[in-house]
Parts: sequence; C-alpha cells; structure tokens
Amino acid sequence: MDSILRAAAMYVALMLLFRVAGRRSLADLTTFDFVLLLIIGEATQQALLGEDFSFTNAILVIATLIVLDVGLSLAKLNAKPLARLLDGHATLVVEQGRFLHSRMRRARLTEDDILESARDSQGIERVEQIKFAIVERNGKISIIAQE
Amino acid sequence: MDDDELLSRHYPVEENMRMQQRVWRFERAGWWCLVLMVVLALLGLFGNGPLSDATAISTDGRVQVEYQRLSRSGTTDNLRITVRGTSAEPVMVLLGGSLLREASIETLQPEPQASLSQGKALLLQLGTSRDGVATLYLTLRSEHVGTLEGVVRAGPSSTVRFSTFLYP
Repeated sequence: MDSILRAAAMYVALMLLFRVAGRRSLADLTTFDFVLLLIIGEATQQALLGEDFSFTNAILVIATLIVLDVGLSLAKLNAKPLARLLDGHATLVVEQGRFLHSRMRRARLTEDDILESARDSQGIERVEQIKFAIVERNGKISIIAQE
Repeated sequence: MDDDELLSRHYPVEENMRMQQRVWRFERAGWWCLVLMVVLALLGLFGNGPLSDATAISTDGRVQVEYQRLSRSGTTDNLRITVRGTSAEPVMVLLGGSLLREASIETLQPEPQASLSQGKALLLQLGTSRDGVATLYLTLRSEHVGTLEGVVRAGPSSTVRFSTFLYP
C-alpha cells in the first residue's frame, strides 16, 4: 500500500516543483538540462521504490503514476478552469515586430531566445519580420512571420 | 509593468493576463520558498545540522546522550551515550523507549560485556575506562515516521529522555 501512497505523493510533489520551475525550464532541452533531468530521475527513484525492488512494486508504482496522469487529463477535459489552472495560457511576447519586454522578463526570456527560435523554425533574421511570438503552454516559442 | 503589456490579447491566442500574472507571482514566491527550504536544510531542519544536533544530560549529570532531534525515515543516525561511573567498575545502562524498540540497532560499539533484555528494554553492562567513563556508540535505523522517544537509564536519578522526529 505504501508504494501507491509514495508514488502519489511524489507525483504531486514533482508537479508542484515543476510548476515553480516554470514552463520554460525544460522546454528546449540542452545537454545540461538533459543531464539534470537524469539526476532528478535518479533522486526520485529511491524514494519511489524504497527498499522493495520487486517486479510487482515497480508495476504498482508505474500503474499509480499512469492512473494519476490519465485521471488528471480526463478531469481537465471536463473542467476547463482546472485545465487553465494547471496548464496556464499561451502568452504573446512579440507583437507586430515589437518585443514585449516586461512580459519576457517575467517569463525569463531574452531577445536572443526568441530570435533563436525564429531562426530555427522560420529562418527569420530580424525581430521586425516577426508578426507574433508566443510562449506556448508547454514552454515552446511559436513564431508567426510577417506576410 | 507596462500597462499596455498587462492587457490581455485576444488574437492570435486568447490570453488571461491576470491569471498569467498570478502564475508568475507563484513561480517567484515558490522560488523563494525553495531557497528557504535549502537554507533550512543546510541548517539541519531535516537532520544533520545545528538545528538537529542535540545533547541531553540527566539531572545528576552522570548520563549524557548526543542524538539527532530531527531525522529522516530510513536513514542511519548516530547516538552517543556517555555514562560516568566509578573507576574500573562496570556500569549497567538500560536502553528503552519507542526509539530503541522501533529502530534497529545497526552497530553497537564497543561491544557490551553483557546484554540482557528487561521487559521491552535492553540492559547493557559496559566496562568503564580508568577515569570511570563508559561511552557507547550506536547506529540506529528506523522506517518509522513521526516522533520516537528514547530512554537511557543508569540508576534511579540518572535518567535521560529524548525524542527524535523522523520525516517521511
């Protein structure tokens, strides 16, 4: 029974921690972010499994995590406010070729981050060529070019 | 923040800037909470630090116990018991309380001369050094979560009670 409770507690704790970290934190995975993610996984693993390395325990833990994750997405389907609360909104950071600096600051984004995304996805060279840049709910930056 | 930037846009995405600001504030406050947690952990709020290291002494001063006030379930903790007796005469020490029942004793150094059970407690006979001091080093591990009490007794007025809180 305690492995179920442990997995549920860990799910909630990780959700809170990553909510604090913000949506941008692991959006564009650099090599270092990837290593960080692995270390986080390592740190979590012991607390999730405890001393019990049995097949049954592993399946129970995985099942609990999937039940919670699917359950939460079902709940989000039915309750829009909950979805808004958990996933947030997309936010504009460039509008008609103009950076929205205080929004970018709050979202911990630099001009370089946005221009990098613009080059990467649309081959855009200057900010004037961007019509809209949007930080999506998953932290990725979408770029819509000027016509 | 710029007033214009505070206004919610409706195209190309539907924004809710009030909510978004709340999210940003939450992130910032959460970050400070994590900083606080790290600092408190360094100070020993979760064990092994100045906030957690403690010493308990019996009323007559004969028994002294160094223990951790705060610890975590499943980790090993050191317990040091010092008993003042008469020179070269063995002393009897009684270890009891929920701590010594719930936790398993992983190591016990030095080996006692005799080890008996007395009810639910453990009665140990320890040899003393030339100045009449006996020291016992214990390593304890418990899977328990919550408060555990320990009792160390070496005579009627030489009782030390201490408690340890174990985080999950």
